[in-house]
Amino acid sequence: MIKDLYTPLTEDIVSQLKVGDVVTITGNIYTGRDAVLPKIVNAAEEGTLNDLGIDLQGAVIFHTAVSPAGVGPTSSNKVEIECTFEPLSRHGVKMHLGKGAISKETVKALAEQNAVFAIIPPVTALLGSQTVEQEIVAFPELGMEAFNRLKVVKYQAIIAAAKGASIYD
Amino acid sequence: MTIQDKVADCLVRAGSTFREDQKEAYRKAIADEPNVQSCWVMQQVLDNAIVAEERRSPLCDDTGIPHLFLEVGPKRMVTGELLEQIKEGVALGLRQLPGRPMAIKGDDYARIDQSGGLNEDSGALSPSPILIKSVEEDVLRLTVLMLGGGPAIRGITQRVFHKHSVDVVIDEIVNRAIPAVSQLGCSPCVLAVGIGRSQFEATSMMMEAMAKGNFNEQSDFEKRITNKVNEANIGPLGLGGKHSVLATFTKIGPQRASGVRIVALRPCCCFEPRRASVEL
Repeated sequence: MIKDLYTPLTEDIVSQLKVGDVVTITGNIYTGRDAVLPKIVNAAEEGTLNDLGIDLQGAVIFHTAVSPAGVGPTSSNKVEIECTFEPLSRHGVKMHLGKGAISKETVKALAEQNAVFAIIPPVTALLGSQTVEQEIVAFPELGMEAFNRLKVVKYQAIIAAAKGASIYD
Repeated sequence: MTIQDKVADCLVRAGSTFREDQKEAYRKAIADEPNVQSCWVMQQVLDNAIVAEERRSPLCDDTGIPHLFLEVGPKRMVTGELLEQIKEGVALGLRQLPGRPMAIKGDDYARIDQSGGLNEDSGALSPSPILIKSVEEDVLRLTVLMLGGGPAIRGITQRVFHKHSVDVVIDEIVNRAIPAVSQLGCSPCVLAVGIGRSQFEATSMMMEAMAKGNFNEQSDFEKRITNKVNEANIGPLGLGGKHSVLATFTKIGPQRASGVRIVALRPCCCFEPRRASVEL
């Protein structure tokens, strides 16, 4: 059975998710990858997210560029991406959305913050048909790697890490 | 229709369309796959292909680097002017698809370390050198292949000491393919294999395999590789299951009188080989 999720995600909803659940995601989500996510972590640690117009409470962050070709997950286990799971979860992110196996340490860190990692297939055309709005929120100088907000309808994903367990175990 | 328009349309089809044998391979795999999560992944890939074809939009946001395979019949002519028209068609097609802007600006050093930035024009991405082959058919046929970055990272071109045994070569290909497919992530794959006398020839054979391979026409050699890799239970997106690899496309060229075979292996991602052909 597919679970329908709406952003921002609540603590209660996230606590009910388990590895292997297929979910749909509807609402506003953020996008970022190697270039911008460490900058978002810095802003979160310095307390300047509000200045950038970013609210991470209950947020979903999709590891993708946003180019004229569309969106699609990059590997979440790239060092500059995976190292942001723990601090961004600590600052309110509830779902990291990407692809690839992540380390046991990251799986544990997610569990400690009641956050999850979900895998989204690289289905750019389908995702394009389910994306109704997009705008650059911060760091526009990074071009397609800027921090974007997307408004999405029923993106499908599978929970790959939750409660200390991983789909790759 | 001009040569440029024909090439542009061909490139857009390559980047946005599954061939019928490719769709059928997915349908069969979905019907045969007991792992529910893996079925879900493959259904998403197939649904994506249907939407991409309808919208003539990219199958994947890594739209790939254009690679060109030109077949030339006995009475057909290739001129420098034709090759330039093909290049212009590629640029036009990249803008129409649209391709992800991926052309790196600058001199040799700047292109290596990417310090010169990206060209925002999708059409600025230059295609790879054209591979030209003479054929008996009376045709001038261009195949456009769009090759993504993930498979390029995981591809391997290396010698195999064959010990006068086909089994040794197959086993080595399988041993290289399993970690490559596992690390690629975007499976189920198609394994593209070229075997030749040099790195250049093996890679050329691999390109031809990608340009001509058919999911419904699998040789014994190809089936053996596919079946052995699938025993590893990697599955779509690494989630486990019977279908890590949907097919293997192989081209075996002339071989050297020696104990060495050069094998080029590319774990093509779940959308590849993204290709289309047009007669010019």
